[in-house]
Amino acid sequence: MKNKLVLGLAIFGMLLNSCTTDDTADIIINDNSVTNNNGGNNNNDVILLSGTYTEDLTLDSNNTYKIDGALIMTSGTTLTIPAGMVIEAVASGSDVYIAISSGAQIIANGTANNPIILTSDSAAPQAGDWGGLILLGDAPINSVTGAATATSEIASLPYGGTDATDNSGSLRYLRVQYSGGSADGQSENNGVSFYGVGNGTTVEYIQVFEGKDDGVEFFGGTVNVDFVSVVNAQDDSIDWTEGYSGTITNAHVLHGPEHDKGIEADGYNTDIGNNSNPIFWSKPTVTNLTIIGNGSSTGNEAIRLRAGTQGIFTNVLLDGFAEGFDLDGDAGATSDNPTGTGVLNGDLSVTDITFTDVTLQVKNDTGETFANSEFLSGIGNATGTDFASWGADWTVGNN
Amino acid sequence: MKRLQLLFILFITATSFAQNTGSIVGKLTDKEYNNEPLPFANILIKGTTTGTTSDIDGLYKFEDLEVGSYTIVFSFVGYETQEIKAEVIAGKITPINIALGASAATLDEVVIKTTTRKESEAALLLDQKKAVEIKQSIGAVELARKGVSNAAGAVAKISGVSKQEGSSNVYVRGLGDRYLNTTMNGLSLPSNDVNKKNIDLNLFSSDIIENVSISKAYSSRFYGDFSAGNVDITSKDYKGNGFFDFNVGSSVNTNSADKTFFRSEGTSYFGFYNRYDNNPFAVVLSHGFDPQQADTPIDITFGGAFGKSFDFENGSRLSFYATGSFENGYEYRRGSNVDYTNVEKKAFEDAEEFEYSTKTTAMASINYKIDDTNSLKFNSLFINNASDKVGYFGIDGNGRNRDAILNTDEGFYQMNVQFNQNLIYVNQLTGRHRFNEGKYNLDWGVGYNVVNAHEPDRKRISVENYQFALDNDASTLPTFYSNVVFDNQRYFQNINDDELNSRLNLAYTINETVKLNLGYAGKTKERQFDNIRYGYDIVNANTPINNVNDLNSIFTLENLNIGNSTDGLYELKVINAYPGLSNTNRPGSAENTYNGNLNVYAGYANAEITLNDKWLFVPGIRVEGIDQQIAYDVINLGAAGNSSVVSNETVFLASLSVKYSLNEDQNLRFSASQTISLPEFKEVAPFVYESISQRIGGNPDLLGTQDGINYTNVNDVSYSKILNLDLKYEWFISKNEILSVGAFYKQIKDPVNQVVAFDATGTQRFFRTGEQAEILGFEAELRKNIIIDDETEDAKLSTGFNFTYMHTQQDLYESIIGTYSVSFNKDEEELQGASPIIVNADISYSPTFGNYKPTANLIFSYFSDRIDALGSGQLGNVIEKGIPTLDFILKNKLNSKMELNFGIKNILNPTIQYLREGTSVGDVLVTSPNGKDVTDYKRGLNVGLQFKYKF
Repeated sequence: MKNKLVLGLAIFGMLLNSCTTDDTADIIINDNSVTNNNGGNNNNDVILLSGTYTEDLTLDSNNTYKIDGALIMTSGTTLTIPAGMVIEAVASGSDVYIAISSGAQIIANGTANNPIILTSDSAAPQAGDWGGLILLGDAPINSVTGAATATSEIASLPYGGTDATDNSGSLRYLRVQYSGGSADGQSENNGVSFYGVGNGTTVEYIQVFEGKDDGVEFFGGTVNVDFVSVVNAQDDSIDWTEGYSGTITNAHVLHGPEHDKGIEADGYNTDIGNNSNPIFWSKPTVTNLTIIGNGSSTGNEAIRLRAGTQGIFTNVLLDGFAEGFDLDGDAGATSDNPTGTGVLNGDLSVTDITFTDVTLQVKNDTGETFANSEFLSGIGNATGTDFASWGADWTVGNN
Repeated sequence: MKRLQLLFILFITATSFAQNTGSIVGKLTDKEYNNEPLPFANILIKGTTTGTTSDIDGLYKFEDLEVGSYTIVFSFVGYETQEIKAEVIAGKITPINIALGASAATLDEVVIKTTTRKESEAALLLDQKKAVEIKQSIGAVELARKGVSNAAGAVAKISGVSKQEGSSNVYVRGLGDRYLNTTMNGLSLPSNDVNKKNIDLNLFSSDIIENVSISKAYSSRFYGDFSAGNVDITSKDYKGNGFFDFNVGSSVNTNSADKTFFRSEGTSYFGFYNRYDNNPFAVVLSHGFDPQQADTPIDITFGGAFGKSFDFENGSRLSFYATGSFENGYEYRRGSNVDYTNVEKKAFEDAEEFEYSTKTTAMASINYKIDDTNSLKFNSLFINNASDKVGYFGIDGNGRNRDAILNTDEGFYQMNVQFNQNLIYVNQLTGRHRFNEGKYNLDWGVGYNVVNAHEPDRKRISVENYQFALDNDASTLPTFYSNVVFDNQRYFQNINDDELNSRLNLAYTINETVKLNLGYAGKTKERQFDNIRYGYDIVNANTPINNVNDLNSIFTLENLNIGNSTDGLYELKVINAYPGLSNTNRPGSAENTYNGNLNVYAGYANAEITLNDKWLFVPGIRVEGIDQQIAYDVINLGAAGNSSVVSNETVFLASLSVKYSLNEDQNLRFSASQTISLPEFKEVAPFVYESISQRIGGNPDLLGTQDGINYTNVNDVSYSKILNLDLKYEWFISKNEILSVGAFYKQIKDPVNQVVAFDATGTQRFFRTGEQAEILGFEAELRKNIIIDDETEDAKLSTGFNFTYMHTQQDLYESIIGTYSVSFNKDEEELQGASPIIVNADISYSPTFGNYKPTANLIFSYFSDRIDALGSGQLGNVIEKGIPTLDFILKNKLNSKMELNFGIKNILNPTIQYLREGTSVGDVLVTSPNGKDVTDYKRGLNVGLQFKYKF
């Protein structure tokens, strides 16, 4: 039964010599169908987690935990989550997230049969119910020069540095659900955000399910990730910027009804500029990638490459898009956005690609002229990633 | 050496009338003020102690004078003293009517300042000449002549001062808001805008101004938070015997005249809004999105003033003055709105904005002249200032957004409907007392100010594929853009400022050569800020919009998606849920709040030392205790978001000013001082304001460092220390002619600049960007008569010109790491906001045709290109392009009661532009948070008529 908001009687008032009338109605809420937060305090067995931790935090598999605010691990501390643990987060949107500061670590090693799940506490969970998981490190980013740092979009925590081997811990068999709550009028949390995270970090078998914003986003850094699944991300499923240069191996993206791009990639943060010296651009190595859209008739594009990003793609399967690749940039190797130069130099290329139900393979807005064959090779040779085998047991939502 | 004295000798005419006496009667008029009666002038019979003063009508009389010859001395402060020989004949009345004009000669002592009419240019020039500090003023007469309607226009006519077009920002010698102070009658004024330290001078219409002065050199009686200048508005002070006048006027703008105007729903013609008492959530649910059609765009002004005085038998006098006015304006801007950093993020090449603004002013003052030596004044001012803006961005269907979901190449569109209302209340009580025949002078004042600044129910909508709204194909429709739930939003913001301030100055004239000033000043100011915002989460991303001008039919209560159903179209989201409630479809808690406190307590002493009539030295010292505190609870700053910063400082500020009189008409001045610059609340509070394409926020590091955090290049200081040096030569050629040249130097330690922070979203924030900034400048001013009327000795044709040239330079840290971080890839830059060249010029022609005396004025001003926002990292600077302004004003005084004035403003109609420099595609037009939401637009010409009638 659908309840209605019943509006009470309007009260008219006059203010000064104003000609306006205040016909604003009173609010009477008769709608009991929404689960209101009661702060989770009524259950004495639940341990609430939030605040800034300056010591290690090891969660006990015998306890039940709930995140009710920003949980920030400061440099030098470690957050350890045991296999099989489900941690709920209060579904209040903003400022409910886990942040692993630069110099801190997270050890969250689940197993295929006992994955770790971070999810909403709502009985009727929705994307954006809570923030998400944020890892920060001191691996290189190109938005700053040398050892300087930038501050994160969420929580304004510092990240970036010179240590490509930065180790922010280990994520294995981890699922993040219903994340992506708005942090302000422009910023939203992602599923998992990697800010300047280095390749000393272990990331394999992670899934982001029903996220309001991006699934996985890389702000610079060198972290390597294997076996990534993103399902129903409402913004971009995989996003990189600020000179990210790790490897993404075996990634599977499935679009829901509301979505943006499969991959949105920037060579640098265009708000700030590419301030690296010597200059470098995002250049990840992406191997075994499948992106499944809603069909070419729905419009949309699978992969947007812009702002000078480079990247070496191998074995890519795109299914159901109006556009396969859309490249943006400015002409000239010395321009601020030399995306096309990357194609001409071989720094941005795709080897083995299969388009299924894709209307336009490549849209070139880089200002440079090149043939599709200079960018794509081995058309029809790709099989994508073998998600059915590696995604078995621990993932959800792939049917 | 002449000495002015003011004697109140009341003649008792009860003495017996004898035939061997006669009398002298007459009327004094004011040459500087349209030959109106000159009250309170001194009339003395030379060689005697017999004297009187003229009354409110300028009338005086001497009765019962012995028959014989007399010399009558007429004098008035600031005016030339005249001696007239008179014969008194038995039983007869000898009439002597005389017009006094401003003096070009020096006066050594100004005894009673309150009777100086500081409205005329000549009187103000004299004041400037006499001043112990470097100061320039513009009075009501010149304001009227130049067609200046408010204080902002007034200060922009002073050398080295420029206004930022399309905003209230005033720059003195290239230094903006942060480096200025505004006072009224010497007491602090509040700011009407969260983004400003100073009040918008546009709010002070000319009918409440007696004069506006800018002191460019520091004196210890000013608050230490001073570097470029102190703007003081002296409110109109009426002491006459009664008048009433009114004026009506109307004008049209060439851009607006033919447009159908739009404004917010729920606001009134007079700029009021009355839903403040409602919970914003109720407002969102009860009222729609769509703007409404406004009235025909014809600007109107009307106002009146009234004055009356009462004399009491004991010699005291009570004067009332009240003025009220209303004016409105319609401005239409068509241009572009572009956000371009290193790439084009969002671009609307065709955008339009309608702005309907209103200003209601009321002021009442009561002046109580208790006796010759004591007076009190109470002044109460109310201003309601409102702006109603409706902006449509991407109206050609070609708007682009690189983060668009459906189409990044065309069809991005936004609408912004925004109403801002500022309610300002200023109350002041001031007093002056003379003791011991003027040996001691006590001046004091207390003020209480309140500002309520509201931005209620700002509405913003974002649409993709807007080109489908322009075609006639019903099968293709635009859809909502909903990347973030706040892409479609309603926003509410409130600011409340309270300030209590006071001043006290005791002047002690020790002897002819030394005068001592001892004083106290204090102010305590509190700001409370809060905002809340509701976002429209569109349930189905591809919800079609049948008519973008009818959003009310979409955002209905019926279409609210309640509970777990999916048959609604939208849900309302809030960032901070109300405790115990969901953040969906429920009223929420404030999104950001902050509470700022500034307490300043100061004591000072200075001495005015005169040596052999040539030298005047004024050494001074001021001690200030400054408490700054800001407590905030803001979103998206993690655990640091709910915090506070406190700073307590005591500063000692020394100043020295020296004046050397080369001769009667020429002075050489030198001044050196140490001052400070305090950060503003908005620069410190880490709250982010989001305009249509810009984000700007504060930085708590401006108040210094906190324990336990690692910083790079963040100094533990809470103010900028400033060294000021000034050298000036001035030659008062005649009573209304001047030539002056000057040079100045300023060194600002730890200067604050607005820069794009490295925080992944491109938010502009404030940083102490380097160790120091330096300014070296030169300025010159000339006011010259070209043709003089032989009879009246007034100028028929005259011209004024002033010019400022500045060189500025600041060093920049390579990188700054603190609460926020930023880097620079250059190590020095010009100062933000400083135009190297500023020019003001005017020419005035006033022929006489019998009683008909029109005045025609052509007024010009120009500032050269200046840095609007400093580029960080790879980003180039944003430059505000310099623009010239030319106005023509014709004042027609039809007779002594009626005046019909005509004006054309903004004759050159320049294009207002901001550019991002040095991108890979060259300079790119952008929008600035310091300007309007539209860039690359023309303001149009304003053509208007005004009628004034005085009873």
